[in-house]
Amino acid sequence: MMSDSIVPVKEIEERMETDKMWLTMGPQHPFSHGLWTLRVQVDGEIVTDAEPIVGYLHRGWEKETENRTYPKIIPMADRLCYAASMTYTHLYCMTVEKALGIDIPEKAKWIRIVADEVCRIQSHLMWLAAVGTDLGSYTVFLWSMREREFFLDLNVKLCGARMTTNYPRIGGVRNDTTELFDRDILRTVERFEKALWDIVALVDDSSIFVSRMKGISYLTREQVANMGLTGPAMRGCGVDFDIRRDDPYDNYDLVDFEVPVLKEGDSYARYMIRIEEMFQSCEIIKQAVKKVQALGKNAPYRVKTPSRVPAGTTFARLEDPRGESLMYLVSDGTDKPYRLKVRSPIFVNVSGAKAMSVGTRVADVPAVLAQIDMCLGETDR
Amino acid sequence: MGHILDWIVYKDTMANVYTPFESYNLPYDIGCKLWEIIGGTLAWLIDLIFPGNVVSEWLVSDAVTTLLGLIVFMLLIFIVAFVSTLIVLWEERKVLGRMMDRRGTMVGMKGFLQCVADGLKTFQKENTIPAKVDKMTYMWTVTLVIGVSVLVLCMVPLSSRWYVVDYDTGLLIIMAFFALAPFFILVSGWAQNNKYSMIGGMRAAELMISYEAPMLILITTSALLAGSFNINDIVYAQMDSVWYIIPQVIGAITFFTCAVAEAERVPFDIAEAEAELVEGWQTEYAGMKWGLVMLADYMRGSVSCSMFVILFLGGWTLPFIGDGPIPEIVFLLKAYIVFFFMSYARAALARVRTDQILNLGWKVFLPLSIFNLAVVILLKVGGVF
Amino acid sequence: MAIKYLDKYPKNLAKSLWVMKPFVVVGKLFWKNIFHRPVTVLYPYEKEWIPDNYRGRPGLRFDKCVGCGMCVRMCPTACIKLIEVADDEGKPVMRPQVNLGRCAMCGYCAEYCPLDAMTVTPEYELAEYTRYDLLYGPRRLHYEGTTEEMEVKLEVTLPSDIENGNPERRVSLFDIDRPELIDNKCIGCKKCAKVCPVDAIEMVEKGVNDKGKPILRPVIDNSKCICCSNCVLDCPKDALQIKEVL
Repeated sequence: MMSDSIVPVKEIEERMETDKMWLTMGPQHPFSHGLWTLRVQVDGEIVTDAEPIVGYLHRGWEKETENRTYPKIIPMADRLCYAASMTYTHLYCMTVEKALGIDIPEKAKWIRIVADEVCRIQSHLMWLAAVGTDLGSYTVFLWSMREREFFLDLNVKLCGARMTTNYPRIGGVRNDTTELFDRDILRTVERFEKALWDIVALVDDSSIFVSRMKGISYLTREQVANMGLTGPAMRGCGVDFDIRRDDPYDNYDLVDFEVPVLKEGDSYARYMIRIEEMFQSCEIIKQAVKKVQALGKNAPYRVKTPSRVPAGTTFARLEDPRGESLMYLVSDGTDKPYRLKVRSPIFVNVSGAKAMSVGTRVADVPAVLAQIDMCLGETDR
Repeated sequence: MGHILDWIVYKDTMANVYTPFESYNLPYDIGCKLWEIIGGTLAWLIDLIFPGNVVSEWLVSDAVTTLLGLIVFMLLIFIVAFVSTLIVLWEERKVLGRMMDRRGTMVGMKGFLQCVADGLKTFQKENTIPAKVDKMTYMWTVTLVIGVSVLVLCMVPLSSRWYVVDYDTGLLIIMAFFALAPFFILVSGWAQNNKYSMIGGMRAAELMISYEAPMLILITTSALLAGSFNINDIVYAQMDSVWYIIPQVIGAITFFTCAVAEAERVPFDIAEAEAELVEGWQTEYAGMKWGLVMLADYMRGSVSCSMFVILFLGGWTLPFIGDGPIPEIVFLLKAYIVFFFMSYARAALARVRTDQILNLGWKVFLPLSIFNLAVVILLKVGGVF
Repeated sequence: MAIKYLDKYPKNLAKSLWVMKPFVVVGKLFWKNIFHRPVTVLYPYEKEWIPDNYRGRPGLRFDKCVGCGMCVRMCPTACIKLIEVADDEGKPVMRPQVNLGRCAMCGYCAEYCPLDAMTVTPEYELAEYTRYDLLYGPRRLHYEGTTEEMEVKLEVTLPSDIENGNPERRVSLFDIDRPELIDNKCIGCKKCAKVCPVDAIEMVEKGVNDKGKPILRPVIDNSKCICCSNCVLDCPKDALQIKEVL
């Protein structure tokens, strides 16, 4: 076809000296959910290169922990991620418990599972809201935020705070479940499962949404492994791995749930994994709440722990809503950690920004990178 | 000496030789009557003091009445168009609010005064112009975008007696002015020395070539059905037969989609896609410039709805009733109902991509509009219309 | 457990080219909202219900407080400071003052308060015009209508208790731990007795030393001690340490 045309288009294009343009998105850009920059190189509308720049929110978290006693780090761990604060606090407490070599009461484990899954739903709803705005639908944003509000109310009911919960403790949890909490959470989850189908109808039954996500930004299993992506991004590419199931912590081995895995590896697969995870989280909550009820009111939920941690190194990991987060603790026998390292899933996942966005259009960049589910608190620490 | 009623006689405007309109025009008539009251009183007073002077005669002469009547006519046309745009703005905010499970605006008069508050707020903002823009182009393009939008909104007739021009090619003139804005948006995006604006401007042009062709085909189809490009004729042809939405359902849906694209609203607001392009071509406009650009957006939305009403919903007429006592209200109400569906689409849908809108325009809308044209030709040839 | 969503989606392409379902869903909510109110709350006029254990600003029950400084020690943002104020009888006492500009509302002060004098309060509208106004003195920290729910209890179970098959909750850390004297380090300086906020330490003479002066040793009254570890921290020779019961 090309050779037949009178004007040799390709030759002209090659001879024309067209510059590729670097487009800086962020840190003050509607697409960057938080303070980070994505520099994309565009050829017309098509992205040819991308470079994520993080570090605007660096607070010296890891260094600051070295100056605090162990319990005082718990409120700080909340501030790692605003959307899923409970999982980070949980992770920190788990690490210290592992270093201390103690086992926490059964009830605490189940309550932590409930709290974690509430957090997972909350965080995924935040992500869904971001996907909505990035694809231009404000309705999805507001509906997701509305549903998220019910789960924040559950947090309030449980521990008295909405987002920075400060709930798990070394050796258990802060307080027992409050009166009628189990009733409220079951109602909320039941209501949420219905409401989520509405949002799903808004997104999945709309050809505009689907065509914006389907078939763009493919990642292969090899790419995922090489970049170290974890979480829904990994499971969307066909890697069947979930720490909750394959390396269970707390009582996740006693819970019956499915780990959604898709082989497509495109933007839409990552979206679908997260939606299914929300439904599975509802199932986990239902089971865990029943276990909490079965344990009765007077079961212990918090054990006393020594204030000094024996010298040594420990690490613990858990399945954060965004991927695999890990804490590595070096203790020197005092009541303060010698070193506390956080492995944040997003810090690793964002390195896939280039692989995810090259070849797409400028309009797709927010849609594709919304699937990373950016949270800068944990990325920059 | 004379009685005051000697001076205020409410002359027939159509008998006035200077009247620029060929048929009865209500706003012009109101203007003339208003001047007869004011000017007549003045003339009477002057005549009381200086009986038999020339000034009194001149004040109530046809020429002066026409001049002052035209000024009031312009004001009336603009104010009605402006207020109806504000109502459209308010309607969208409330409807979107309810659809998104929130309340929408809440300031005064069920939230209507929020538009006024927004206007005042943007008016008080500092008029900043970025240092490295091409200042002249930067200013005149935005002026033209706003100006063209206001012009085309004012040119939409609200009824057979509320119009600005009544040419035989009235529809084409409106559509021609309506299609002008994307050019200025393109130039404006270029002038702003901002990458987002430039991409936004390019996208406006890209968007325009995708919807403009099917839209014009659909307009000609309606005109073909009515046998005229005159808006009056199209409207009354629909009253005589049936609303054109019935023979051309496909055409109406396609036109509606194109009209949404023409007004640059979700799902086709790719020129100002705020997720990736900050505010698209409007990025560098601040203060009242931005406020007016936003207002112009809604004006274009309102024009889109009006065009839909004229072409497919029988304009200001009602079936079995005809013109009715106040056809202007009927027309505006119909436009608001159409705008409700635009808001509805905005709440339910997401933004499409540039290549998708091009695909949609050329591979879906254009065949549909041609199919619609074929159906209409068949109907016309078959003698149904 | 069954997969719920992935079984139904993705739909086949012919169906996913359809955009009517979103319109139906949105229209349903619109119809509902015409008759019912939307879920939003008009904030300054309407407020959401919050439970009693809501973690707003810290509150202080002046009479219960003994000024032990546990809150100061546990505060992760170092926003609490002990200041000298006159109590009801005019005597100068030490009471906490909270700088709400730094407070993170973590509730640690209430949780670790040995006497539950510090509470959480459901007050969250704390905006002030100056930073100075954000300093809440001991009297200002008082919250009208403090209920029992606002106390944060520190209920722990001892690991040894669980091992013994008696998983009973102890209400406070401070009922269990006690300071312990390392006798050969003590120089009898009486500092611990001075700093003890509840006067649980009494200096007792235990014989005489080589020079014939009396040897003073602290004796801790276990019923009075609240385990605030003030004596441990202030001991110049590190002769006292908390003995943790586990």
